[in-house]
Amino acid sequence: MSNISGNTRGFLLLLLAILSIQQTTAQQLQGKVVDKTNPAQPLIGANVVWLGTDKGTATDGSGNFTLQLADAATPQVVVTYIGYTADTVDVAGKNQVILSLSPASGLKEVVIEGQIERHSAITPTQTEIITRRDLEKSACCNLAESFETNASVEVSMTDAVSGAKQIQMLGLDGSYTLLTTDNVPALHGLATPYRLNYLSGTFIESIDIIKGMGSVLNGYESISGQVNVTLRDPAKAERLYFNLYGNSLARYDANLNLATGLGKKWSTLLMLHTNQLHNRTDRNDDGFMDLSLGSQYNVLNKWKYEHGAWVSEFGLNALRETKVGGQMAYKEDIPQAEQPYYGTESEVDRLSGFNKTSYTFPGKPYQSLGLITSATHHKFDSQYGLRTYNGEQNSANARLIFQSIIGDTRHTYKTGLSYTFEDYQESLTDSAYSRTEQVPGAFAEYIYNNAENLTVVAGARLDFHNLYGNVFTPRLNVKYDFTPNTIVRLAAGKGFRVANAIAENTSALVSSRRLTVQEELQPEEAWNVGGSFTHYFELAGRPGAFVTDFYHTDFLNQVVADMYSQPGQVLFYNLEGRSYSNSFQAELQYEVLKGLDAKAAYKYYDVKTSYQGELLQRPMIPEHRFFVNLGFATPFDKWRADLTTQYFGLMPLAPVTGNAEEPVQTSKRFATVNTQITRAFKGWDIYLGAENLLNYRQADPIMGANDPFGSNFDASMVWGPVTGRIIYAGLRFRIN
Amino acid sequence: MKQLRILFFSMALALVSMAANAQGQKGNTETVQIKTSAVCSMCKNTLEKAMAYEKGVKSSNLDVKSKVLTVVFDTRKTNTDNVLKAVTKAGYDANELPADARAYNRLDDCCKKEAGDH
Repeated sequence: MSNISGNTRGFLLLLLAILSIQQTTAQQLQGKVVDKTNPAQPLIGANVVWLGTDKGTATDGSGNFTLQLADAATPQVVVTYIGYTADTVDVAGKNQVILSLSPASGLKEVVIEGQIERHSAITPTQTEIITRRDLEKSACCNLAESFETNASVEVSMTDAVSGAKQIQMLGLDGSYTLLTTDNVPALHGLATPYRLNYLSGTFIESIDIIKGMGSVLNGYESISGQVNVTLRDPAKAERLYFNLYGNSLARYDANLNLATGLGKKWSTLLMLHTNQLHNRTDRNDDGFMDLSLGSQYNVLNKWKYEHGAWVSEFGLNALRETKVGGQMAYKEDIPQAEQPYYGTESEVDRLSGFNKTSYTFPGKPYQSLGLITSATHHKFDSQYGLRTYNGEQNSANARLIFQSIIGDTRHTYKTGLSYTFEDYQESLTDSAYSRTEQVPGAFAEYIYNNAENLTVVAGARLDFHNLYGNVFTPRLNVKYDFTPNTIVRLAAGKGFRVANAIAENTSALVSSRRLTVQEELQPEEAWNVGGSFTHYFELAGRPGAFVTDFYHTDFLNQVVADMYSQPGQVLFYNLEGRSYSNSFQAELQYEVLKGLDAKAAYKYYDVKTSYQGELLQRPMIPEHRFFVNLGFATPFDKWRADLTTQYFGLMPLAPVTGNAEEPVQTSKRFATVNTQITRAFKGWDIYLGAENLLNYRQADPIMGANDPFGSNFDASMVWGPVTGRIIYAGLRFRIN
Repeated sequence: MKQLRILFFSMALALVSMAANAQGQKGNTETVQIKTSAVCSMCKNTLEKAMAYEKGVKSSNLDVKSKVLTVVFDTRKTNTDNVLKAVTKAGYDANELPADARAYNRLDDCCKKEAGDH
């Protein structure tokens, strides 16, 4: 008897023990997330959240997760994973579940209109996003104006006659920034002087600004960063979109986008743009037009094919632009040599096309093969006073990229081959320059993502340049999340590019300076190391962000455009000594009141180059800058108002009359204010705005304006606004 | 300077008209409840924004959990059919009316029906 009772007691104890274990586990939901088409494949880093709450977790290295039952609002969980269709699963009464997700049809980028964080919390690089909602805040006729409400990229005029605009990042010239459209390198080489005018704002869906070193996939060229313009998507664009703009200088823009689907697989988008300015104005009475006259016709046609695992996009772009600047009395139909008035003229014809095709392996949404090809023809004829500058560039580029995982999705890699062909022909007055580049290359990038707080992107490429030998480009990006709201990023790497000395310094052509190339120019090479700290916060229930970054760029070689050493000349030579840029930026964003967003930034630049052995601050770059942007919107964006103020500190100048013995001359401190107000109705908007509201103007932007053929003529030292206040108005109309 | 004054004047005018709009009229209102195919809080923003631009609609509110959109409108300016049509044009089913195909396609992936409630 006692034996039996002993057994019973043991059994009861065991039962009790099991029950108590069940008691503790019963407070949790344990499970695993797997691929539906291949249940042996766990999904790592998938999000599992209780429906209707923000209580959730991510799956670990074997796809497992644990949730607290106490956190549940309803017994349902939402499972999401990139590349898979999200699912909601009823887990009532369960403690153990296996959740299987089916792969989504092709990886699609997530575009959320106006709701994206301006500073991305996801990308391994320091990335700022300008959405369409941001683009609509500024006069936005073309890419140049798109950066108006952004602190990281500056847009300035290259000279006071031609009206060309250039961007700067990290205190470095725009040519050190890689410009891509839909991640295809675009508008480089000889297109640089006016390239910001070649993309209409209405072509653009969003813009990503990547500071510092980025991926090796797009080539070796980027040194200070990358600007990627995402063009509108034929499958998602409005059926009809029309924009009309006019300003107080009598410039007008017209844009028309038409989109349609063709069957289930094809869609197409036709985008037309024109801008016209034919009214001569001279508000500062220096005898020169404040802004060059011009007309541009720009057509972009994009096609998209989607079927199963295949996605393909085609694009064709044709552009024609003519510009005339110079003295008010200049007549463009009389040759320069036969008239006493100074003038500049340019005529650009450009044709480009691209194709992007990707194939995603069935059942393996993480594995894909992509082919990106593009070709461009760019031809221009221009005249700056008695100088003529003509050129032609033909280029072609192909890239094959394979993407997959090593073991599981924590380890992914991209690898591939590329080939670039570039043919340049330039002539400046009576000297001719030409070169043909043929560059086959190979690249690989490894991405580690522990799905929790660490991302490491390590990449390298090796290119075989027919003119300059082997080029090795290593790059590294690290992102670490201390908390989901506190993120640190590091970026380091090398960049390489072949400079186009004249195209990148056209401002010097609008002066009496002589251009002297002192030796054979070598390609530019630089290291860039930097990092950023991002903290998202919530104060009084409203969101904010603090972002600060520092980047150091160190040139191994640079083509120096020296305007300091020899009066009346620009000397081009290879760097001897040092050339570097230190850039620091701190930015604070906060929704001060419901609907009122404020953004303030401070920037410090220290950019120095050795000029004939003397380390000097590069001209035209202010050491200190402030930026403040206020944006107000009523519910549902029915009314929107925006105000942007920028303050510029002293900039060193290098005027043509300068003398190496005299102290460096500087600009004045000044501020500009831009504002816009928009009213939205069903299907259409109207907007009214002002650029340079305070009407600040640089006094005498053109030196020696009364004798443009004399030795003291210089229109390149333009550091402030030339035109004064501009009032503009416009309307947008759309049919969805 | 004159242009500047015009600009400020038009901004002031804008503010006054905003205040006037907010006053609104009473009476002649009707409330309709519509079962939609909305799945998430982003759908809520999309739908409520679309309703805000509809002629005669005074307010709208989507309950994401039940997918029911409650719309208050002015019967002198619009009717239930117009409101239902506006919902389909925003890319969502409205009761038994199916969503406009192109509008549905334009929705973000997370707002499509296949994404499931979340």
